[in-house]
Formats: sequence, structure tokens, C-alpha cells
Amino acid sequence: MELDCLYKNLILWDGAMGTVLQQRGLPPGGKPELLNFTDPGQLRGIFQEYIQAGAQILCANTFGANALKLAGTGYTVEQVVSAAVSIAKEAAAGTGVKISLDLGPLGELLEPLGTLSFERAYDLFREVALAGERAGADLVSIETMTDLYEAKAALLAVKENTALPVFVTMSFEQNGRTFTGCTIPSMARTLEGLGADAIGLNCSLGPDLLAPLLEELCKHTRLPVIAKPNAGLPDPATGAYGMGPEEFVQALLPCLEAGVTIFGGCCGTSPEYIRALAEALKGKAPGPRTPPANSFVCSPAHPLPLTGVRVIGERINPTGKKRLQQALLEGDLDYVLDLAVQQEDAGAHILDVNVGYPGVNEAELLPRAVKKIQSAVSLPLQLDSSDPAALEAALRVYNGKAVVNSVNGDPEVLGRILPLVKKYGAAVVGLTLDEGGIPQTARARLDIARRILDAALELGIPREDVWMDCLTLTVSAQQEQAAETLKAVRLVREELGLQTVLGVSNISFGLPNRPRVTETFLIQALEAGLTLPILNPGLTGLMDAIAAFRVLSGEDAGCRDYVARFAGTPAAPPAKSGGGLLTLEDAVIRGLKADAARLAREALETGDGVALVEERLIPALDTVGADYEAGRAFLPQLLSAAQAAQAVFEAVRAALDRTGGAPVKKGRFVIATVQGDIHDIGKNIVKTILENYGYGAIDLGRDVPPETILETVRRERISLVGLSALMTTTLPAMEETVRLLRTLPSPPVIFVGGAVVTEEYARHMGADYYARDARASVDIAREVFS
Amino acid sequence: MEVDIAEALRYLGIGHSPPEDLRRQTAELARMLTARVAPRYVCRIFPLEFGEGGIRLAQTEAVLTGRTAHVMLAQCRQAAVLCCTLGAEFEALLRARQARDMAQAAILDACGSALVEAGCDAAQEELARRCPQSYFTDRFSPGYGDLPLELQRPICALLDTPRRVGVQVTEHLLLNPGKSVTAIVGLSDQPQAARIRGCGFCKLNQSCPYRKEGTTCGA
Repeated sequence: MELDCLYKNLILWDGAMGTVLQQRGLPPGGKPELLNFTDPGQLRGIFQEYIQAGAQILCANTFGANALKLAGTGYTVEQVVSAAVSIAKEAAAGTGVKISLDLGPLGELLEPLGTLSFERAYDLFREVALAGERAGADLVSIETMTDLYEAKAALLAVKENTALPVFVTMSFEQNGRTFTGCTIPSMARTLEGLGADAIGLNCSLGPDLLAPLLEELCKHTRLPVIAKPNAGLPDPATGAYGMGPEEFVQALLPCLEAGVTIFGGCCGTSPEYIRALAEALKGKAPGPRTPPANSFVCSPAHPLPLTGVRVIGERINPTGKKRLQQALLEGDLDYVLDLAVQQEDAGAHILDVNVGYPGVNEAELLPRAVKKIQSAVSLPLQLDSSDPAALEAALRVYNGKAVVNSVNGDPEVLGRILPLVKKYGAAVVGLTLDEGGIPQTARARLDIARRILDAALELGIPREDVWMDCLTLTVSAQQEQAAETLKAVRLVREELGLQTVLGVSNISFGLPNRPRVTETFLIQALEAGLTLPILNPGLTGLMDAIAAFRVLSGEDAGCRDYVARFAGTPAAPPAKSGGGLLTLEDAVIRGLKADAARLAREALETGDGVALVEERLIPALDTVGADYEAGRAFLPQLLSAAQAAQAVFEAVRAALDRTGGAPVKKGRFVIATVQGDIHDIGKNIVKTILENYGYGAIDLGRDVPPETILETVRRERISLVGLSALMTTTLPAMEETVRLLRTLPSPPVIFVGGAVVTEEYARHMGADYYARDARASVDIAREVFS
Repeated sequence: MEVDIAEALRYLGIGHSPPEDLRRQTAELARMLTARVAPRYVCRIFPLEFGEGGIRLAQTEAVLTGRTAHVMLAQCRQAAVLCCTLGAEFEALLRARQARDMAQAAILDACGSALVEAGCDAAQEELARRCPQSYFTDRFSPGYGDLPLELQRPICALLDTPRRVGVQVTEHLLLNPGKSVTAIVGLSDQPQAARIRGCGFCKLNQSCPYRKEGTTCGA
């Protein structure tokens, strides 16, 4: 299908199929896809009505034709898609009207909200896309998406497996977000980057409420824009849509002025609406578009236009960080997430993620780290690796528009990495060095920057997606280079107009009072034109300097952010609390995390870590536990105490790292929410409590197949397993897991819990213990590991 | 919309005299929650067809089988079916909080449960405005009594919840996002006695700490 025409010519799509079928007798909740077999004549008739009304593209009746939704119908994807496309083609025979394969949502939510993995979603969409191309569809429309991640899986599946053009439309609420929180700019920039041929909005709202959102969309993409609204909102009592064809068209026309070129209808529309649209659009031309030119990265819920100084958090990088190295070797992504959370809370705008360390399989760990961080942190990520396989794996599962760190002027590196940046629509950081090393002059670094930019542009990567790092060298070793770096930043900014990235803390390496030098260099660099400093946002001095710089540069309009940052904060509050009488035990019992950590550090200066844990920490936790059992303390207090205990463990761990002692681990347990169950807060509570008694958790997450639990127990030689189930429908999976674990030659001790589990049922299914609450699991662990 | 703090505390297992700092923390998290998340709901009224196999929502595939439905809807000619959810926003908020502070996450989870109930109340109030002549039964849900959990699937299909409010039913009949509820309310032209709510129907009515103090839990 020719696509050039989409920008200039107006294209008319068809209207609804599902609601038209309902008007003609399909019961609410019925499956329209089955009509491809039971009543093809009716479908053909509706298509013909749409063609007569003026539609130039028909959506084949395949909205729910994926393996998940067809399960139990007795039909395969291939059968449904082939029948549906054939019916539309028969209706369009001889008219020149194009047939679109229609891909709706899969009907199950993707991770992290649901448990359907990105990879499985991709496979499900691939099956439909392949069937569609075989059946002779002219294009593919991915529609009614509310999860950008699902839209990405579908888009990749179509682009990687077919040669068909692909349009993507998503459904937004009036507040400019989808049900999963995706924003219009995030949708636009992500899908355009991934190579959609046209994007737009469909369903959820009438044209009156969709129009402002479509106008916004037009401002955030260079692609042709599609509008397929509902016929108003449905009547709550009857489900009927309220807006007539005339009103529909009148409300939709402002979108034409905003630059929308592809029109159609969704729920509640019918051939009448399309006829009215065809007449109204006759002879009209779309309004002018102003494509976006600003640099941009995002997660779905967090669009980040780069219109000023933005901080890239540097802490997820194992270089020189023993604790993180250990976590990466153990695959402990909770610690990685902790670092991400801390940096988000400290004010970072983008997080660099580097998990490269000897002994770590980066291609396996980087995508896992990305998924883990994105499950709880909404900041855009900078994927930091030199391994193309790791970068591709991470770019694939990243939800949104990421940035890749990095390429350099070496043609081999450019050839390896830039095609990935292009394919996944990421931004990229270019280091101004090449196979000859780091040039000593600013001019020579600018030359490399230019070469990198040219290579990117040649591949079709937009200019605003190319960011340059002019490289900070250590001033104590190469003093004259500080000035060259600053000069290079200025040149890249002035001559190329690109975003500039700089890791600032290297500058002060080897000097006393490093923060002073780093901060001064940071301010100089900002003045030279640095827009994206890479630093530790936990260093308040650097963040304060940036806040002040943004005031002086005028970026912080009305000094609002600065005032918000500093107003009302007392100058250096006194560090002591509890009148100086607070003991470590008190701090743990009262859940005072910071105090517990401080008191533990003090105690460790003279005492031994193991004794601290066994003689002071655990008894304090037991006090809270006993209060909880007696109804004098409650779950949040139990958890607060556990978290204060965690702070003590971290202090002990740090002390052991210094002295080279072995980490305190009293035994490891596997914990999981059973297959089919998606509720995991109860499981997470038990994990928190047990971990903070010093037991090591292998958390398999939720919806965990019995085989995975068995395999882990066998491989890791685990002697304690905790299983959680919240629903009667998932108890059989718990039972099956217990049964399977019992087949091991030396089965682990199994404890079970969750809302629907009872003591009796636990015994009946063959579990060793029933844990009525998180506290009870501690007693079980003690017995097992004593 | 407001979170009923006493209800949230009850979900946390905290009885009638909560420690002051927990009450304060719960109120703060409830405030944060209601500033960020509003329940979304969808509701439709169906005529009822009483038959051998159960009560059918007219012209749909949803048949309410079992004693519960029969007792609840005995005097009704119509029923409203509703779905209320806190959506993905709540799940994201809860995940973010779990990564920071499990104690607060547990409280937030309880506040979410209370808020989704408040959303159902709001849906029902709207229903009352729309049907001023009708009397309502207590609200009941699949899984309550002998009303089959399997009804989640047809109910969500006929309300088109994936499109309308973003709620899906999983293979094991769980609603996703987690803080989601489906419910049925019978509409009758005669006053309806309480059949679920109230102390008379509670298993704990002989041992309830609230009743001993001369109050009720409010559920």
C-alpha cells in the first residue's frame, strides 16, 4: 500500500463493527469473531454498506482473533483470520478498497500490572499478524490499546514478521491518559520511534472530547494522525451511544484543522456516520502541522521533554561499588530497584542502568533489571552497555523511549549500535572518542561529534535524539583537559545544537575535598552548555547547585522549583532524636530506620556484627512480634520494625565488607504466589519480615508455575518454601505445587498462607505448616533453621 | 471521594481503638490516595428472566444460579450490574510504595480496599438518582454465598469492562487490576430487607468487640 498519500490526502476508514452487530441482534458480551463462520453474509453486507458510504479501508472482523481470546471457541487464529479477511475482501472486490487486519488487545494485562509477559504477548500478536498477511490483508491496524507496552509488542510483532504497513491507535480518557496511565507525548514519541506508519486515537470518547487530545497528538509526532472516535458516550442504562451522525461530524472537523488526515468511527458509529463524514470532508484539506523538534525520552506515565537541565542518576553502575557488584552476581534485583527508588526520590530525571561486571550475563540481566526498575519507578532509563546483545534485549523490553549509552566515533561501534537505536526509536549518547583514543583538543572532539551525528542522521535517527558526551578527564592527572572539555561542550552546543551529557564526578578523582571541585566544575559545565549532567543525585550539594543554576539561567520560571526546594526546610536539623536516650532496641521497635542504622553503626565500631544481630536486633524484633500476637501492635508496626531491622543488617553488612567477614545469612527460603494468582502483597509482607530476621529470600514473584518452584528448590537446595494463594480458584495450583515438591528425594519444609487458606486445608494438601500471618512464618523459619 | 478511615483500619486488623500514629498515617495515605486516584465504574440495568436453571440477565449469557441469587432477587424484576475499579494507577502507586516502605504499602492497600467500596457506593447512589421509584437489595458479588465466581467472565463481557474501565478477568477468574469489584444490586418496587449487611447477618454478632461497646463496625 502506498503511504505517501497519507500526509496529503484524506483517508476514510470504516466505522464500528461490534456495536452495529449488537444493534442487529448480537447479544452484549457475544463474540463477533464467530460470525465469520456463522453469518458471513451479515458481515459482508455491513462492509458493503461502509464501502457505499465512502470508506476506503475496511477493518476485517479480527479484533479479538488471538489465541487467548479464541481459547475454547473451537477455532484457531488461522481459521478466524483467514475467514475474516476473505469476507472483507469479497465485499471490497473490484472497488480498490483496502483491507486491514485488526489487532485489538489480547484480553489479559501485561506485566507488571498483569502476569502476561512481553515476550508471550509478542508471540500471540505474531501469530495473528502472520495469518493476516497470508490471508491477503493490505495493512494492519493495532487499535484500542490502553497499554503502551502491549502496543509495542504488537507493533514489533507486525514489523518483524510481515511487510505490511501498520497503523496504531490507542484509547485515552478525558484526562489525557490511558487506563494504564500512558500520556499522549509518550505514546506519540514511542510508537513513532518504533516505526509505526500512522498513529492516532480510537474509542473511549466522542469526537468532542477526543478533539483536544488529537490536537495534542498532532503536536508530538511527524506521522499521519488517525481519528476514530465513538458516537459520544454510552447511555448507562442501555449501552446505546448518544451522538447522531451530523453532530459527530461537526465535532470531528476541528481535528482536520489540527492536521488529522485519517478518519473513521468506533463504537456506536455506523455506515450513516461514515457517509456524513465523507460528505463533510469532500474537497477539504488538512491544516498545517508543526512537527516536534525537542529532544525527548519517556516511560509511559512520565514524558520528559529535554528543555533545560536534567539530571541523569549514575548510581546503578557496579564500577567501584562492592555492594552492587555482589547484588548483580547474586541476581539480587531488589537492591538495584532500591538504588533506582533512592535516586528518583532524590530528584533524578533519568536513570543510567549499567549491570556489566565480570561473571554477569549482561544480555540476560540488563532486560531483567529494566523490567524490575520499571515495575516501581517511572523515570526514563539510560541503558548503559557496550554489548549489542544486552542493549537489544533491554531496548526490546523497555516500555517507552529510552536512551542508549553509548556509541563513539569508531565506525565499527557505530555500525554495531546505531541500527539498534534506530530500530527501537531510542536516543543515543555519543562519546567524543574513537579508535585513536580521546582527542586532546576541543576541536578534534567536535569533529568526532560531527561524525557520530552524520552517521546517525544517515540511518534516519533524528538529530534531537543524538546526545554528545565530551568526556570529563581527571583534573589532577591532566589539568589542561578540564578547559578543553568545557570548550568542547560549548562547541557542540553552539555548532551542532545537540544535547550534551557529562559525567562530572571524575573530574575530582584523587583530590582532597572532592565535592568542592566537582561542584565548581559542574557549574562551569552548565554555563558552557551542559544539559544532562550524570551524577549521584544523593549528593545534595550538586543538586542544590543545579537548582540555583536553573534560577540564574531563567529556566526555573518565577524561581518556583528553587523556592519549593528550600522554603520551609530548617537549616541543618540536629541529628539526634529521642533526647539522646534512644537505644538500638527502641529504634527498631518504634520503626525508626535512620536512627536504627546510626545506632548500629555506632555499636559496630566496638562490637561484633553477629552478636549485634543475635543479642540485640532479634530480641527487639521479638518484642514487636509478641506485641503483634497479643493484639498490642499491628501489621504496619511489625513491618516498620522489620524495615528498621533491615537498616541494621545493611550496617552489619557494610562492616563485614570492610573487615572481610562472611555475610550474615541464617538460611535461605523460596517464596512465591502460586500459579494463576496475581495478588502478591501478602507474600511480599512475609518476605519483608523473614528477610529482616536474617533469612535470605529467593522471591519467585506471583503466578509461579509449580515446575518453576520445584526447579528452584532443587537447584538451590532449599529447605524451606512459602506459598501464598488468595483465591479459591488458585488453591488447586497450591496443592499441585505441594504435591510436586513432595516428590523430591528430600522435600523442603512447606508453609502455606493467604486469605482462603485454613489450617485444615493446609494439612489436607500436605503442607507442613499453616502460617496464619507474617509473624507466624518467623516461628516456622526458626524451627526449620534451628 | 473519601476513604472511610475506620474501614481501612479494620481491613488492617486494627480494632476499635487504633494507636494515634497509625490513624494519622492512614489518614495521610488516604489523602494522598484520593488526590491521585478516583474510582472508575460502569453500571447497566438488565431485566431479569426467572427460569429453571437460574435467573438470566435478559438477552445475555449471564445466568445467576444458586440460592443466594434467588433469595436476593426474589422480589426484583430488574438488576443493576456494576464494576468498579481503582485501575492501574492504584497498582502503580502500590508497587512504588512497596519498593519504598512495606508498612505504608500495607496501609495503602487497606485504603484502596476502602476506596473501591466507596466507588461502589457512589455507583449505587447514581443508580438511586436514576431509578427514584426503585428499592434496592443489598449489593452482592460473584463468590458471595453460592453465587458462582464464574460469573465474573460474563459480567465483565456484558459491561465491556476492558474497554470501559480497563478491567480484565484472568484465566483463574481474578479481576485485574487487583482493586476491582463486580457487584449486583436487585431493583424492586417493594422495600427490601437487609439480607447481607448489618449485624443480624454477621457470623461474629455474638462475639463482636464493637457490639460489646454498644457500637457497630459499620459494614
